[in-house]
Amino acid sequence: MITKYLNKIYFLLGIIFFFSACTDDLNVLPTDDDEFLSEDFYNNAGSYEQALAGVYGNLSLTGTSGSGSSNIAGIDAGTSQYGRVLWYLQDLAADEALWSYENDPGTKEIQRNIWTPANPIFRGMYGRAMFSVALANDFLRESTDEKLAERGHTSTVGSEIVAYRAEARLLRALSYYHLMDLFGKAAFVTEADPVGTFQAPQYDRAQLFNFIKSELTDIEGDLKAPRTNQYARADKAVAWMILAKIYLNAKVYIGVENDPVDGENYYTKCIDNCNKIFGGGYELASNYLLNFMADNNSNEAGLNEIIFPLVSDGVVTQNYGPTTVIINGEVGSIEKNQDDLGAQGWGGALRVRKQFAEKFIDQGNDDRNTLITAGRDIEVVEIADKDSGYILTKFSNRTSTGAAGSDPTYVDTDFPLFRLADVYLMYAEAIIRRDGVANGDALNYVNDVRDRAHASLISLNDLTLSFLIDERSRELHWEAHRRQDLVRFGLYTGGNYNWAWKGNGSNGIAISNHMAVYPMPSESLAANPNLTQNTGY
Amino acid sequence: MKNFKLFLLTVIVFLPLSLFAQQTVTGKVTEKATGSELPGVGIIIKGTAKGTATDFDGNYILENLKQGDVLVFSYIGFTTLEVTVGAKATINVALDQDTETLDEIVLIGYGTTTIKDATGSVAAITEKDFNEGNIVSPANLITGRVAGVSVTTDGTPGGGSAIRIRGGSSLGASNDPLIVLDGMPLAASSGGSRGILASINPNDIESFSILKDASATAIYGSRASNGVIIISTKKGKSTFKAEYNVKAALSTLSNKIDVFSGDEYRALIADIRPNDVDQLGTANTNWQDEIYQEAISIDQSISLSGQIFKKIPTRFSFGHTQQPGIRKTSKFERISSSLALNPKFFDDHLKVNVNASLNYEFNRFADGVEGAALEFDPTQPVYDADSPFGGFFEHHNNGEPVNGTRNPLASLLQRENKGEVQRFYGNVELDYKLHFFPDLRAVLNIGYDRSEGEGFNQLSDESINGFRLSVGSPFLGSRSEYTSERVNSLLDGYLTYNKELENVNIEVTAGYSYQKFEGVDFNTGNLMDPDRESDINTLADIVLIGLFGRTNVSFMDKYLLTLSYRRDGTSRFSKDNRWGNFPAAALAWKVSEEDFLKDSNTISNLKLRLGWGITGQQDIGPSYLYLGRTVIGSSVSQYIFGNSPINVAIPQTRIEDLKWEETTTYNVGLDYGLFNNKVSGTLEVYLKESNDLLAEVAISDGSNFSNSGFQNIGKFTSKGIEFSIGTDIIDKEDLKLDVNYNMSFNQTKIDELALEQDIRVGGIGGGTGGTVQLHSQGYAPYSFYVYKQLYDVNGSPIEGAYADLNQDGIINDSDRYIYKKRDADINMGFQSNLNYKDFDFSFNLRASIGNYMYNNVNSSRAQYNGLQQAAVLTNVPSSVLETNFYNTSDVIISDIYIENASFLKMDNVTLGYTFNGFNNHDTSSIRLWTGVQNVFTITNYSGLDPEVFGGIDNTTYPRPRTFLVGANIKF
Repeated sequence: MITKYLNKIYFLLGIIFFFSACTDDLNVLPTDDDEFLSEDFYNNAGSYEQALAGVYGNLSLTGTSGSGSSNIAGIDAGTSQYGRVLWYLQDLAADEALWSYENDPGTKEIQRNIWTPANPIFRGMYGRAMFSVALANDFLRESTDEKLAERGHTSTVGSEIVAYRAEARLLRALSYYHLMDLFGKAAFVTEADPVGTFQAPQYDRAQLFNFIKSELTDIEGDLKAPRTNQYARADKAVAWMILAKIYLNAKVYIGVENDPVDGENYYTKCIDNCNKIFGGGYELASNYLLNFMADNNSNEAGLNEIIFPLVSDGVVTQNYGPTTVIINGEVGSIEKNQDDLGAQGWGGALRVRKQFAEKFIDQGNDDRNTLITAGRDIEVVEIADKDSGYILTKFSNRTSTGAAGSDPTYVDTDFPLFRLADVYLMYAEAIIRRDGVANGDALNYVNDVRDRAHASLISLNDLTLSFLIDERSRELHWEAHRRQDLVRFGLYTGGNYNWAWKGNGSNGIAISNHMAVYPMPSESLAANPNLTQNTGY
Repeated sequence: MKNFKLFLLTVIVFLPLSLFAQQTVTGKVTEKATGSELPGVGIIIKGTAKGTATDFDGNYILENLKQGDVLVFSYIGFTTLEVTVGAKATINVALDQDTETLDEIVLIGYGTTTIKDATGSVAAITEKDFNEGNIVSPANLITGRVAGVSVTTDGTPGGGSAIRIRGGSSLGASNDPLIVLDGMPLAASSGGSRGILASINPNDIESFSILKDASATAIYGSRASNGVIIISTKKGKSTFKAEYNVKAALSTLSNKIDVFSGDEYRALIADIRPNDVDQLGTANTNWQDEIYQEAISIDQSISLSGQIFKKIPTRFSFGHTQQPGIRKTSKFERISSSLALNPKFFDDHLKVNVNASLNYEFNRFADGVEGAALEFDPTQPVYDADSPFGGFFEHHNNGEPVNGTRNPLASLLQRENKGEVQRFYGNVELDYKLHFFPDLRAVLNIGYDRSEGEGFNQLSDESINGFRLSVGSPFLGSRSEYTSERVNSLLDGYLTYNKELENVNIEVTAGYSYQKFEGVDFNTGNLMDPDRESDINTLADIVLIGLFGRTNVSFMDKYLLTLSYRRDGTSRFSKDNRWGNFPAAALAWKVSEEDFLKDSNTISNLKLRLGWGITGQQDIGPSYLYLGRTVIGSSVSQYIFGNSPINVAIPQTRIEDLKWEETTTYNVGLDYGLFNNKVSGTLEVYLKESNDLLAEVAISDGSNFSNSGFQNIGKFTSKGIEFSIGTDIIDKEDLKLDVNYNMSFNQTKIDELALEQDIRVGGIGGGTGGTVQLHSQGYAPYSFYVYKQLYDVNGSPIEGAYADLNQDGIINDSDRYIYKKRDADINMGFQSNLNYKDFDFSFNLRASIGNYMYNNVNSSRAQYNGLQQAAVLTNVPSSVLETNFYNTSDVIISDIYIENASFLKMDNVTLGYTFNGFNNHDTSSIRLWTGVQNVFTITNYSGLDPEVFGGIDNTTYPRPRTFLVGANIKF
């Protein structure tokens, strides 16, 4: 009888033991060849270069598996491509461009200045720029001396890591510069903060301004000398460029023209940084259009004029970024000029506004005038009518020798985020703003830019702020500067300067002053209660 | 005749004598419908306690009988039969299945019960109730049959179905019910397949058991929130039986979208775009006619069952389905074979059930070219002798493509996208009643499901859509090849203790379940692209482990109590969060067993059920969000330093505190039967509350490696009423008429979202990245989020004019509002069967009320600016004449495109005739039948078909109208 019960008990115990043995199987680890536990990934010394490429790559790539993939969710992948949304917010929102396919969400409200916080382009821009911050922070966390020592990499990557870390910090500052300019504020997250759902404090424009300034000043010594780093990696000149930009716009950002700490004039600081860049050995390319061609990474412009590009490549860096969108968008509905541009095109996606075209009309010879006007009316009465309005052919997916780019959709043309001609014009503007009048150096720099384009030279009397705002448009149109420039010149909001479709009127109407900064995206506000909405939204 | 009279006389004369003779009767008991032997049938001599039971082969012997004794044959699930003993020494009996179904066995998780003892909301559909007609996918066997279960099947050949039980209970996690096939929960299918059930031959299925409320499903714990469908395949029988089914179907296009004809289009262009008249052609092409075809499909299956080695009841089946689709080039072909062995050993102490299936799917997938067919210029011909693109007309400029719509027929014919899947699944179940402890059963079930798909996707080098190295260079077409493998393995074991005491019956079950899902995919990339990179993608394993227990107590056969508990672990969550506990309880009271109703002639069955339970959900896309991971970018997603492309490394979203979503369900049910169960049905009311909803929502920017990720974010309730009634209106020998009706009312609402954050969902066509639906607090999920259209005094819509709902003077995104929702309030099903002599006739109706649809076909196309797309002329739906809208972007989000898509459909009508006993064999029969599938649709919806899963109709694969003939032959 006892044996009988024992049998039962053994049987039950056996079963329980058998069934409870495998709960360790719940600890599943990545097995794919492209995915690693982060701690394992950094065991390889080469991983630091890949991680840094990830921080840079965020300026061009939206995800890890092609142009349709995205690590920014809730919106179309292209609607968070760094350069593209920056271009939307700086150029499409101003007087230079019109996007024909207004059913692409967000574009209509941006280009007609009727945006709301729900606009997906805001979510894309804010999310993408903050993703840069997160990537830079992660790089900084993983590349400390302690971590390197712990992983045994001190000797192998020790020397390079100084520049790597400085570049990561520069890219973080670059993103905060864009956020400060566009939104006037941002969540402030550093490498000291945890990964997860941390709700970071909000930094306003002044706090961001100071952070960018101190950060860029701090890393200056660690960055490589101008033009000594690999192409597309940032050097000291990029830091100087960002500093020159924030000083030139200091009045907009923090409301003063003199540094409240050392009392120095910000325009002087801008000029100083421009001079540092000039000292770096940059030169204007012989032909204006070399800056916008498929080989602008390796031609004269890439070697000498472009200070910092956003990379695009038809084979290895495929993305729906600014150059892919612009060049495909330049293919006209009537012209069918895809062959000239080396891209198959989208049948008339982009045109220019009347006020931009007028900056070239009756201005004589100018290489920078790439408008196609034949058979087209300068006015755009219906945005959906792609046969009206002039089109532009500034950017191209053909090389300086005429070869087509390596892919008919994804262009090889890099986007010149910063280039020397801009510095020349900034220098002249800072002189005038500081001194009230231009000087000989300023005139020479402006005429260098015009001479290169075979445009007529100007005299000192011609060189005024109102000339410069138009000249900046002629030289730098579609390069993601325009809204910032118009705001600085007091022409963006209000009714002093109305362009076609400004304020949703075909002839342009005034817009409210609060629109000089964009609203914080609603999803970002909801996810981080420390953030506040901008006044007027 | 003369002989017969003589015989009668003899009987009459000798009958009194034989009345007193003692005799022995032998015989065989079989199932009337199938002819198979029934083992274990109880045979009692009426008025005595004497009797016997049939043996394994259905045979019995009864001795010491007198003529005039009445033998009572009874067997669970069958109508009891009484036979008076006469002179014959052999009494063979065929028992009819009990149509009142109360004793019908239903599968529940890790066990069985009967309808009359079920405490939870369980619906059983067995073979005799299956839908008829053009059933290719198993899910269609039950479409419209069960209150609260909706099955939406697309029009593709062999197409998949979206199944929802009580509307689902998740926002961001899966809403698919758990499907359990012969004890094995299924997971996603491999590449190249049409879906998880596509490879299964519907003829192999014996029953569906649908568990709707948590008291029934909670035994499946973490996967039970959306209901459970238990599918059981047919088992081996001990008598020989053969069955052959064949059907042929002609599928035709049932509806088209109205666009301008060539002539109308020429007039329209001359009127609206006079400058473009020179681009017009002279043809009159109906592009929708060009892309569709009439298709004939053939479906055959054969099954054999019987005993092998005189010991092992076995069933073998073989099926072949060939189904071309009505969209040209699309095709589904399935070869299925399955084997079931169901022997018993050791005096029936050990039951062994072995199922093994080896199935093949051969698919050709056709691109959705409906949009291009609507848009392509109808004045252009299909073919163009001078075209460099394989002789198809295309928009080009000396061979250089012009931006615009592409010839849809060329897109179909120039692409070959084929997938082939081999799937093996099977299970071995050992059910052992312990020799030394017969109250205890130990059940072990081992399951294995492996799909291996391979295929290629090739585009002709004559296609204008092909790959090329750069603008101006020749087109190279494209070709990529892939393989895909999914493995799902299962080990379940449980013990069941059953004790019958006086007035109390106790059953206790406890067990363990281990399941693992693995997968790997390989894709070559485009072989025509010299820079291509192939990639192996190894999916993260998903491991689920559960411990479960259940107690059923029945007291005096009137009061039933079920308690169940499951503890589940998943590999998806971190150690601290991965285990969840899922309890459930149910009470049932068989009111009709009480003395005051026991003898009622009106109320023959009345059972009240109360159920409560907590179930979970962990089925989200990401596999291990809690781990810090880094992904290396693909070859096209590199960054270039200098001249060197670098594979980027991107850290991945990491959310450590993710946990189960939990749904609490309350259910009250009333099962009723009236007039000796001639009328029967169920009424149920339920409330489901989902907490800690898993949904992908915004994360504070900069704090993680995305701006959004899965979080446990809110609350969601659904409540509903379900009602079903079935009745035999006429039940005579030669004339039978029955009707069944079911209705469900369901309402879901989002109660709470984290930080009151709305979530935009419902991507639409027309523009890149637009959405038209919203999850918002206080509203149904997937509510439409649109602008309020304004109308002029004549009632015509004013283009681009919307109500300024926030009254800020600007019409922008802030003026959108929530208007209607996609899910139906009420679903209904109605079936009727009529049998007259050897004729049978049946039909099914299905209705859906209160569901709305965003007509994306019209919203993105029916505007005059659609007459030019990119650089070419294009056609638009002629519904543009109703609105006269010009600009798509001004109107695409208007509420004018939210349409009531309520519908009434007749899914099927079938007429058959049966020849019985053709082979001098009493169970043989031939049934010939004919029918129509997708007979008609009544709706106010203006688009092609009001039934589009997801509520956004941006062209669909049209559901064909199918005419069928078929035969079932049984031996």
